[in-house]
Amino acid sequence: MKKKFVPYLFVAPYIIHFLLFVGFPVGFSIYLTFHDWNIISPMEFIGLANYERLFNDTLFWKSLKNTLIFLLIHIPLQIIVALFLAELLTQKIKLKNFFRASYFMPVVVSGVVITILWQQLYGFESGLLNRLLTYIGIKKIGWLTDPNWAMPSIAIMATWKNVGLYIVLFLVGLQTIPQQYYEAAELEGATHLQKFFKITLPMINPTIFMVVILSTIGGFSLFIEPYVMTGGGPLNSTLSAVLYIYKQGFFYYHMGYAATLGFFFAFIILLVVFIQKKFVEREY
Amino acid sequence: MRKVIYLFLILLFISCSKNNREFKNEIIYWSSNNTEEIEFARYIVDKWNKENSEFKVKFQPVPEGQSSEEVILAAIVGKTTPDIYSNMWEGDVENYAKAGILVALDTLKGFMEFLYERCDSSVIEEVRSSDGHIYQIPWKINPIMMIYNENIIKSLSQKSPPKTYSEFFKAAEEFKKDTDGDGYIDRWFGYTETIVTWWQRLFDFYPLYLAATNGGSLVKNNKAAFNNQAAINVFKFLQKLYKNNYFPKERLSSRQDVFLDGIIATRFTGPWEISHAEKYKPKSFQYNFSTMPVPDNHNGPVYTYGDPKNIVIFKTCPNPNFAWKFLKYFLSEENDLKFLEMTNQLPRRKNIDSNPLFREFFLKNPKMKIFAEQAKFVKGTDQSLYLKEVFDIISSEYEACVIYGIKSPEQAISDAEKSVNLLFLR
Repeated sequence: MKKKFVPYLFVAPYIIHFLLFVGFPVGFSIYLTFHDWNIISPMEFIGLANYERLFNDTLFWKSLKNTLIFLLIHIPLQIIVALFLAELLTQKIKLKNFFRASYFMPVVVSGVVITILWQQLYGFESGLLNRLLTYIGIKKIGWLTDPNWAMPSIAIMATWKNVGLYIVLFLVGLQTIPQQYYEAAELEGATHLQKFFKITLPMINPTIFMVVILSTIGGFSLFIEPYVMTGGGPLNSTLSAVLYIYKQGFFYYHMGYAATLGFFFAFIILLVVFIQKKFVEREY
Repeated sequence: MRKVIYLFLILLFISCSKNNREFKNEIIYWSSNNTEEIEFARYIVDKWNKENSEFKVKFQPVPEGQSSEEVILAAIVGKTTPDIYSNMWEGDVENYAKAGILVALDTLKGFMEFLYERCDSSVIEEVRSSDGHIYQIPWKINPIMMIYNENIIKSLSQKSPPKTYSEFFKAAEEFKKDTDGDGYIDRWFGYTETIVTWWQRLFDFYPLYLAATNGGSLVKNNKAAFNNQAAINVFKFLQKLYKNNYFPKERLSSRQDVFLDGIIATRFTGPWEISHAEKYKPKSFQYNFSTMPVPDNHNGPVYTYGDPKNIVIFKTCPNPNFAWKFLKYFLSEENDLKFLEMTNQLPRRKNIDSNPLFREFFLKNPKMKIFAEQAKFVKGTDQSLYLKEVFDIISSEYEACVIYGIKSPEQAISDAEKSVNLLFLR
């Protein structure tokens, strides 16, 4: 009897931690989805009203659409830039380590700091980017003030911030490709492009898949950038789903509704990742 | 060893148990956490504690957080609220009152007499909750007015600060300029924040609306009350400011002070601007304050938003009578004067501009006198559970109509009205 008890004792810290910090919050959130609660007043049971509201909430669907637009720009851009730079960094170039460190630097710098920095770069009148554009005779762009440009601007910035991490992943992936394949292809007279498309790309399929999944999950949690730079505007064009959930929860204290949005959003992320998994696995 | 563990567990249990006040004869008071107010609170509390032995007051600035509102909420949930809090935004009180966590002050002995002595009846009605009780003491205001660069205004053909929409447009057209010849305006007549955060509208749309309506309401009897010609005119006015490049769409808040740099000529702001301008203004820079712009056919005084912060007593207070006794002392005329001197914020008391006690201060600080005179014509907020959402809805329509011009003012105000009315159906 005593022996049977011992293993449970060893796993107990984890189980207790899990129940306290994961199990209870998740359970409580599910409970909240059926209630109206603004923290200070007593909870009111409202059945499925929060779910009903969710399906009629045009702003939530817009925030979801914005997030998907962000992902559609961010993920391909992230993969192309990271893979391109990783390829460059595998070549024999001077100051390779310096470049590797430089690309990784933004990953470890605080998101808020980077966002404020880019806010300056994106300024319409005084921003560096628009100054460069006018210098070469191109019209200024309302990077953060034009509803058509605001989300792409945020996607460009997010790509710049995260690309270092994905470069590292691709570097690891590229180093696992056996050199003999390239040597054989060279003997057959393959060009650089042929080698890239016929050998590199198929061989780093698992890395690409991992990058897609990580970027998708990271992209779905888009928050700091629109929160600091645009507040979700202009015209709600950068209102991401997480920012909307945050606003419902911590601006208006609609805790029940925010929990409902959170659950629904988590379900969508799972669905998208599941579809991606099927799609990417089938393609290569 | 076992004994040590038991002792530790007992101590842990005690420390986690309900917060028991160490001294029964002690009142805990939280003030705002800006430097001047902390100094004032410390001064008052020290004075009280020296002069009174019946009970002591323990002072603490509201703990740091993203916003004081968040901190107060956390304190309410954790049942660690202070007894007195002196920086409560008027618009928040209705929610707290409804939740039953504030003391109904009108049940305290002598409260209403005190309040009638301090405030006009319109102010008392403004702070009266929808259940008929009063949960807050009007304490201080910072009226929103138009600051203007005197040198610039004198250089324009009107020579005086614009009072009406037409005058504002005329001055703005004259002042706006493309200084570097790149085809883009880079000198504007004014500036307001374009972001949709609800409280930004307290510093542009709302004071303009109050000015145009002589202190009208946004919501009344759980219904939107702003679908009127005044609100439409305010939207039209603001829309033209952006459309004609009199105001920039770009966020200028991350730059150096654009007003003191002469990049903009006016701004809607409060008396806090005085100490800032005095500290950082360039040599020969002159500025002054004027009322908010009004429609051309406006009659009567020009109202504005007062940005009121009030005092509440939480129900967790073990002795509300002690708290009330301290507050009566705290809010005496002499202490209000001290508050004005130390913080450059106006106590919300009637006839402050003509009260002999305050005369000397205003003689020495003529710019503050302008705010004191404006204090007769300020309004706080309507007492509504959904006030923030109301402002948020207006802010979204403001963005679509005023800044981006994709909706007509009539449509935007009408859409805002519909959305606000939906809120009250919940």
